[in-house]
Amino acid sequence: MPVVQLAGVTKAYENKIAVSDLSLSIEAGQMFGLLGPNGAGKTSSIRMMMGITVPDSGSITLFDKPFARNSLERVGYLPEERGLYKKMKVLDQLIFFGQLHGLTGDEAQKRAVAWARRMEISGALPKRTEELSKGMQQKIQFIATLLHDPNLIVMDEPFSGLDPVNAVLVEQTLLELKSQGKAILFSTHRMDQVEKLCDSICLINNGEAVLEGNLRQIKARYERNHVIVEFEGNPAFLSSNEVAQAKNFSGHAEITLKPNGDAQKLLHEAAAIATIFRFELVEPSLEEIFIQTVGVNADA
Amino acid sequence: MRNILLIARREYLEQIHGRAFMFSTVLVPLLIVALLGWGAMTDRKAVAGKHVAVAADNAEIASRVRYEMLNDKDANFTVELVAPATQQDIAALLKQVHEKAIDGLLSINTSSNGAVTATYTSLSTGDFANVGGLQNALNRGLIDERMIVKGIKPTDADELLKRVKIETLQLNQQGETEQSKGVSPFYKAVMMAFLLSMPIMLYGLDMARAIIEEKTSRIFEVMLSITRADDLLAGKLVGVGAVGLTQIAIWMTGATLLLGTSLAANVLTGNLSIHFSLMEGLFFPVYFVLGFALFSTLFSGLAATCETSQDLQKFMPLAIVPLYLSMGILPVLLKDPNSIWAIAASLFPLTAPYVMLPRMGLESVPLWQLAASIGLLILAIWATLWFSSRLYRVGILMYGKRATLPELLRWLRYS
Repeated sequence: MPVVQLAGVTKAYENKIAVSDLSLSIEAGQMFGLLGPNGAGKTSSIRMMMGITVPDSGSITLFDKPFARNSLERVGYLPEERGLYKKMKVLDQLIFFGQLHGLTGDEAQKRAVAWARRMEISGALPKRTEELSKGMQQKIQFIATLLHDPNLIVMDEPFSGLDPVNAVLVEQTLLELKSQGKAILFSTHRMDQVEKLCDSICLINNGEAVLEGNLRQIKARYERNHVIVEFEGNPAFLSSNEVAQAKNFSGHAEITLKPNGDAQKLLHEAAAIATIFRFELVEPSLEEIFIQTVGVNADA
Repeated sequence: MRNILLIARREYLEQIHGRAFMFSTVLVPLLIVALLGWGAMTDRKAVAGKHVAVAADNAEIASRVRYEMLNDKDANFTVELVAPATQQDIAALLKQVHEKAIDGLLSINTSSNGAVTATYTSLSTGDFANVGGLQNALNRGLIDERMIVKGIKPTDADELLKRVKIETLQLNQQGETEQSKGVSPFYKAVMMAFLLSMPIMLYGLDMARAIIEEKTSRIFEVMLSITRADDLLAGKLVGVGAVGLTQIAIWMTGATLLLGTSLAANVLTGNLSIHFSLMEGLFFPVYFVLGFALFSTLFSGLAATCETSQDLQKFMPLAIVPLYLSMGILPVLLKDPNSIWAIAASLFPLTAPYVMLPRMGLESVPLWQLAASIGLLILAIWATLWFSSRLYRVGILMYGKRATLPELLRWLRYS
């Protein structure tokens, strides 16, 4: 049973079509990546899922029922930019959002304190939001999204403003929630995180879905014409006739072979002039797929 | 409904703890105290009277004018007489005026054919009140003198010219008459207009600014994923309105406590003796709530179309012009509270919250006018709510550019 399903959804603003005939479906226990360049229609799609705007045509189903506002009590939404009251104290703010989602004041407070401990921000609870760093505010927003234990979690750029340590903390929390059967949709430009966390993706461009499905299956569709080489010595093999494009990062090279390029031949050429520690034929990265699909000029 | 109350509670608590609330709760009463203090000082200054020199070539006329000046209890002049006065005397007196030893010089000249001319010289160009009193005394003195010359005894002349003071009475709702309180209706009308307009403006604009801030900080994104735009707007209006009512309750409690003190008893006497009727007490919160609802609803919708507080400036005349009009109508109201302009201003929804209560303090407003005024206000609030909620629903999600008029009209059609 899909937790959220969009079927042929279209939304236009004045002369611009923001989303055109978009269909996607997210199951319980699934981590779903909504990708696309800036202005592709990601935020418009999310806003329709959250009932902030209404589609011009098509249908949205939440928890197997046509969209209804009371279903939103089971949804947690983290917007791209901080949506917090600056002057309000953190604990009061978390209780307020919890109550709006149907929790009692006491229950919201209990959960807020527990989440703050888990996200390592207990000390921030009595402070005003404006006194905190961007990363701290992001963690508070993250807690506010999860406080009412939603079954569907929608996150727009959840790692924005987080340092690597806190990014890992958020990643682990998301994986834990996924293992509890929560459906998670996140929209991001960080392809490495999508690749690491998501089961399925939908890549949209100019409001239309241009690539969608299971991430492994999508990657399998692409030819294994990428080579990762770790070496020491002469890098002249990177200019071989077999190579279409190569990036050399001080002994770590990422190579794209020509359409008929021979990886074995390249390995021989490389081994002849350098010491090879690693030579691996890999699928293209999601970033490469993204760029290939939406065009090299996409602002991703 | 639960969400409306939660949003209202949050708005209420945030505003109550905010600096704007603390500031305005103290500032507005201070302004009123300053106004009353100024009134009391002006009253005392008037009692102290002006020190005027009377210089004349005719000693009899000068003496009669002096007598009339000293008889004017309201003006309470101190008079110095120089008669017959030479050019040197007049020059010396003008020097005293210049040195502020005396407040003014009344110079009376009689020509050979008996015609009398007079000049009053002082340092103040706007000394109209004193000139009025002097003119009165001069003319009465001349008539006195002319009657005496015609053979009428000075005591008979005084008897003939005895003044009759008109006492003004006001008929109240119960049909009973009560004594009018001098200039106190003026202070009361200004105070009422102040007490109503300041919070309505302050909280209305504060709410508008908060909407712009919440729009730019994207709080609306989160809030709209939990609650409806209309609930959000309603919660804000209820919360901020409750803050205004709290402030008025604080003022009223403070005023009640203060009025019991001996200091207040000393200041609020005579012209400054101000009393509020039960009707005024009942209708004060009614007009505050209606006025606040009208302006706040209007500004909430308009604020949603703005990107910055500067954008809001272009809509400021909508708040300021009704206030100026209301303040401008106060003299008309004081002169004739039943004039067509006073009635129109107390019925017109944008000025009614500021004008009706001062008018109620000056006369017994017919019940149908009160009902019409409140009915029109409710109708205007309903229409504004329709208009603003449409702008609000679309406007709070529109980022990046200021909406143009054709866009605003399109928004009204969309939602």
